[in-house]
Amino acid sequence: MDAEMLASALRMSTPVLLAALAGLWSERSGVVNIGLEGMMIIGSFWGAYGSYAYGPFWGLLFGMVAGLLLAAIHAVATVKYKVDHVVSGVALNILALGLTRFLCIKIFNQATASEHTRAFATLNIPLLDHIGFLKPLVTKVSPVIILALVLVPLSSLVLNRTVFGLRLRSVGENPLAADTLGVNVFLMKYAGVLISGALAGLAGMFLSVEHTGMYVEGMTQGKGYIGLAAMIFGNWNPAGALGASLLFGFAEAISIRAVSSVIPYQFIKMIPYALTLAVLAGVVRRAVTPAADGVAYERGGE
Amino acid sequence: MISIKGVTKRFPGVLANDHISLEVREGEIHAIVGENGAGKSTLMKILYGLYQPDEGSIELRGHPVRIDGPARAVALGIGMVHQHFMLIPRFTVLENIILGHETARFGVIDRRASEQRVKELAGQYGFAIDPKAMVATLSVGQQQRVEILKVLYRGADLLILDEPTAVLAPQEVTELFANLRLLAAGGKTIIFIGHKLDEVMEIADRVTVLRRGQVVGTMAAGETSREGLAEMMVGRPVLFRIQKNPCHPGAPLLSLDDVTVAGVGGTARGHGRGHGVGGSQGPAWRTRIARAAVDGLSLQVNGGEIYGIAGVEGNGQTELVEGIFNLQPVTSGRVMVLGKDVTNRPTAQIRAGGIAYIPEDRHRRGLVLPMSIWENLILGSHRRREFVRRALLDRDRILGHATKLREQYDIRLADMDAPVLALSGGNQQKVIVARELAQSPQVVIASQPTRGLDVGAAEFVRQRLLEMRDAGRAVLLISADLEEVLSLSDRVGVMFRGKIVAEFPAEEATPQLLGPYMLGGAAPAEMEIPLADARGEGGEARV
Amino acid sequence: MFRKRRLGLQVTAPLMAVGFSVLVGSVIMLAIGANPLQAYAVLFGFSLGRIDSIASILFKATPLIFSGLAMVVSFRMGLFNIGVEGQYMVGAFAAALAGFGLKGLPAIIHIPIVMAAGMAGAMLWAALPIYLKIKRGVHEVISTIMMNYIAYSFLHWLLADVFLDRTQVLGQGGFGSPRVRTPELAASARMPTLHKLFAAVGIQLPHYIYVSYLLFIGIALAVVVHYIIWKTPFGYELRAVAQNGPAAAAAGINSERVMVKAFLLSAAIAGLAGLSDLMTFFGYYDIDFPRSYGFNGIAVALLGRNSAAGVIVGALLFGMLARGAEGVQVMTGVPAEVITILQSVMILSIVVAYEIITRYVRTQRKKEVGA
Repeated sequence: MDAEMLASALRMSTPVLLAALAGLWSERSGVVNIGLEGMMIIGSFWGAYGSYAYGPFWGLLFGMVAGLLLAAIHAVATVKYKVDHVVSGVALNILALGLTRFLCIKIFNQATASEHTRAFATLNIPLLDHIGFLKPLVTKVSPVIILALVLVPLSSLVLNRTVFGLRLRSVGENPLAADTLGVNVFLMKYAGVLISGALAGLAGMFLSVEHTGMYVEGMTQGKGYIGLAAMIFGNWNPAGALGASLLFGFAEAISIRAVSSVIPYQFIKMIPYALTLAVLAGVVRRAVTPAADGVAYERGGE
Repeated sequence: MISIKGVTKRFPGVLANDHISLEVREGEIHAIVGENGAGKSTLMKILYGLYQPDEGSIELRGHPVRIDGPARAVALGIGMVHQHFMLIPRFTVLENIILGHETARFGVIDRRASEQRVKELAGQYGFAIDPKAMVATLSVGQQQRVEILKVLYRGADLLILDEPTAVLAPQEVTELFANLRLLAAGGKTIIFIGHKLDEVMEIADRVTVLRRGQVVGTMAAGETSREGLAEMMVGRPVLFRIQKNPCHPGAPLLSLDDVTVAGVGGTARGHGRGHGVGGSQGPAWRTRIARAAVDGLSLQVNGGEIYGIAGVEGNGQTELVEGIFNLQPVTSGRVMVLGKDVTNRPTAQIRAGGIAYIPEDRHRRGLVLPMSIWENLILGSHRRREFVRRALLDRDRILGHATKLREQYDIRLADMDAPVLALSGGNQQKVIVARELAQSPQVVIASQPTRGLDVGAAEFVRQRLLEMRDAGRAVLLISADLEEVLSLSDRVGVMFRGKIVAEFPAEEATPQLLGPYMLGGAAPAEMEIPLADARGEGGEARV
Repeated sequence: MFRKRRLGLQVTAPLMAVGFSVLVGSVIMLAIGANPLQAYAVLFGFSLGRIDSIASILFKATPLIFSGLAMVVSFRMGLFNIGVEGQYMVGAFAAALAGFGLKGLPAIIHIPIVMAAGMAGAMLWAALPIYLKIKRGVHEVISTIMMNYIAYSFLHWLLADVFLDRTQVLGQGGFGSPRVRTPELAASARMPTLHKLFAAVGIQLPHYIYVSYLLFIGIALAVVVHYIIWKTPFGYELRAVAQNGPAAAAAGINSERVMVKAFLLSAAIAGLAGLSDLMTFFGYYDIDFPRSYGFNGIAVALLGRNSAAGVIVGALLFGMLARGAEGVQVMTGVPAEVITILQSVMILSIVVAYEIITRYVRTQRKKEVGA
């Protein structure tokens, strides 16, 4: 285990971390977001397009807004029309697939990949970059990785210390109680889902623009779902989500290096998914779901 | 203080409030009494802005007001303490109190200032409560105090308490009343909704009686009597003791021998069930419990008698019943039905042994609401030979059976194919009672069998239980309604912290005698609350 | 009275949903400068106006009937078996093994064995998720999706490294590389197509369309599924557990056993979804074996309001859209993916439409019964 390995693990964990945070924001407000995968897909495409056409900053913006717009559909469907959260999420994932393919054909004249994109300039962490053995970890870091890491304490702070966070959590626990205290239940749920969408879009944008340098169909590879698993493993806490994401990042970093002639590479490709299953099997019984997660709230319906 | 003028509220098929007019004076405790369905709750929801009246108006201190939502009610100084607590178990007391009304700087909650204010308020009215404690770890009485503090924190001058004593033991009621008097003395106006007439007579300055959505009358508590109020409530003189035949106990049909059920813990109310993909399937919140919910309990119920269990809710009654049916595992001890050991046997096998189950929560344990009435009438007996023909359910036979039950139990319904959720609460309960008693069981476990039923339906259910007893069957009755336990039972056991702490023949049992036992000591004492747990997770709601 | 109304409900909501999706499709086509009226005209004309199109629709609908029915069983159980996708692929592969591995059997025996192998393979793939669900509380959506990804890799390995057909005759002069596929199924493992049957009533199906007897098997299965869910004690338990688990448990129903049975039943049906391609058109399991029957099955089941009859209608509609899309792409230049968008919009709008109608009915019902 060296710093290079750590750096690779950190890169691999970033999209999972962002997806986990995205899931967390939605679920703490009581909306299950299985559509994360789709929001990442659409974020990866629009991120790539924005970056290709106008530069990385616009890519980031496009990706987040695209994720947010898809999340808006999820919010309207689940909050206003009380559609089953999982059904809506699955539909959005299918929609995202079809839509990106369609757009890709229209914009890039090919179905499954974009042109190359421009990434953000990488950063060196001042001071630390002089410590020799840390070098691979602290030099040439994508600003989006730093943003993702900053989002961890920030999410914690907002959820636990602010009025907005308290109200958002209350809606995920007991919407009726929150409603009787004058909390705007629907507004909070919309907020949670939209933040979720924007973060998932960012996760997708990181994949295409920062990690790969282009959009490729199927590049999310289930990371939206893995993010959900990380969120559960992290017990719906940002810090926990970070820990869990790092675990997944490590597994992927190791598996990339573990190319060997003994184990066929198809089995190595299975590692993240098998790990997700193992993690969930080991952890769910002690996990504490927000009490009203996935439950539609109807005013006056008792 | 507040005048209600000609308020009318209609629901599909029901006239819940019919031109109600009444006046509540500043600083008084005004009781509103009436049977279930008399329109009390609807009226209170109108006052709190949860419903809008179809007709009529409300004046507050002489000014007409339109209360278009809870937020508006709060702004007007109206506060509501709900019957079912509106608390978030996983939040701290402080978080529950300030929610929706936070003190903040730049959006960040000012915890120190909020805590200070809560402590001041609590001190002012004599509430002993730790703002940092997690609500899930509080007793029911303390949770109620949190509810009242919530209302006071919002600066309410008018407090509405919706059946606040329903979940309390007699001594806790005394404490609550002391608090309420203190509040009234401090200039607060209190509307007290209830149906227990003794309590109303004790606490209220004036009483308004509702019946079928109309005001029957308002009078000073000193000018009326319990019997007078009761007659006004139901429109005819009522008998307070049920007529019953002498008891001829036979052999023990149900014996519980040193039964322990660990239980999943948590509070009696408020554990929501998340449907998230994280999918923990039990109650979402689990407190670390030091002792088992049912803790070495022993009792015997004989044929031909009703054994009533009295006790404050949350002392293991639910777990006891679930343990008997193996819906929660019995961790030690034995459950014997008709002399056969059925401890932790498959539920189907236990029930086939001749034991019926009327669950406390009919929506959760008793019925499959979206399924049709006829299907609900065979739930559990759907694999009996008479209902299955050539591997398929025999609809004609089942409908015949269902129709028979409908007549026998006077279930009022329009269509057997309608989902059971379309029925009223009373008729839903009759579906359960009919189904369970149709199997001619030897033992009946009836848990809160009349909860939420109107007088007619409740009487009907009680009569059926008495019939079972007279036919030589054993009935175990668990009810939070002390009056019901005392009037139906032949023997009464008091359950406290998972044990039967005292047992009396029905003739000797009185509320005054039982009360102290319900709180865990022969002498009336402050209920001690293990606060060690409350701080366990830190002041922050770690959720 | 309630039964009749339920039927009305089941027709209105899908119609609303299809209508809304067509509208969304029009907006998208307008946005890319295509003429939606023309596109829809082509879609209908091409898919309904030709005999080969009709046969193609039937062929395309066949797998969706199976995957849709698999979803119906799981939805009625209150489970979301997104794993139909992986399960039918594993099932098809297992069926292929039975198809090329066994030789010398008469078709009347070999075909049922191949189908049984498909069902068994799919059930095997569903065993872990339902075990984790019951024993460890892992939500089936995430676990089955993970199983789908694992299936892709696993089958790839089996194809490329273990069962690759190394006897393939390459193109002229040995050019090109061999296909990544299994050996071909024995002739006795091929499902007979409907050409002869149609010829008997005077309709000549084009030889390049492979609609087979699996279509009839699917329709018959729909009837069976309907009976299982609504008429048998098992179906009764399945609905009771799904709609109120605690009450079912209190009534003595073993919820876990019911869930395991239902989930495996769903998987077994899923295991048949890949067979119409395997046993007719391909004749071997190929690296390009068609995907997303599982996901389309979700749409078909929702569109059919979780009823067996609805699934057949939904599958035919999807078959028609898929066939029509081919025409639209060729004749108007609108990418066929517009159909995928239409389909996903349909899923969402069907549930929304159903919710709206249910609310309406609920208020009506309260008015009647409440008194």
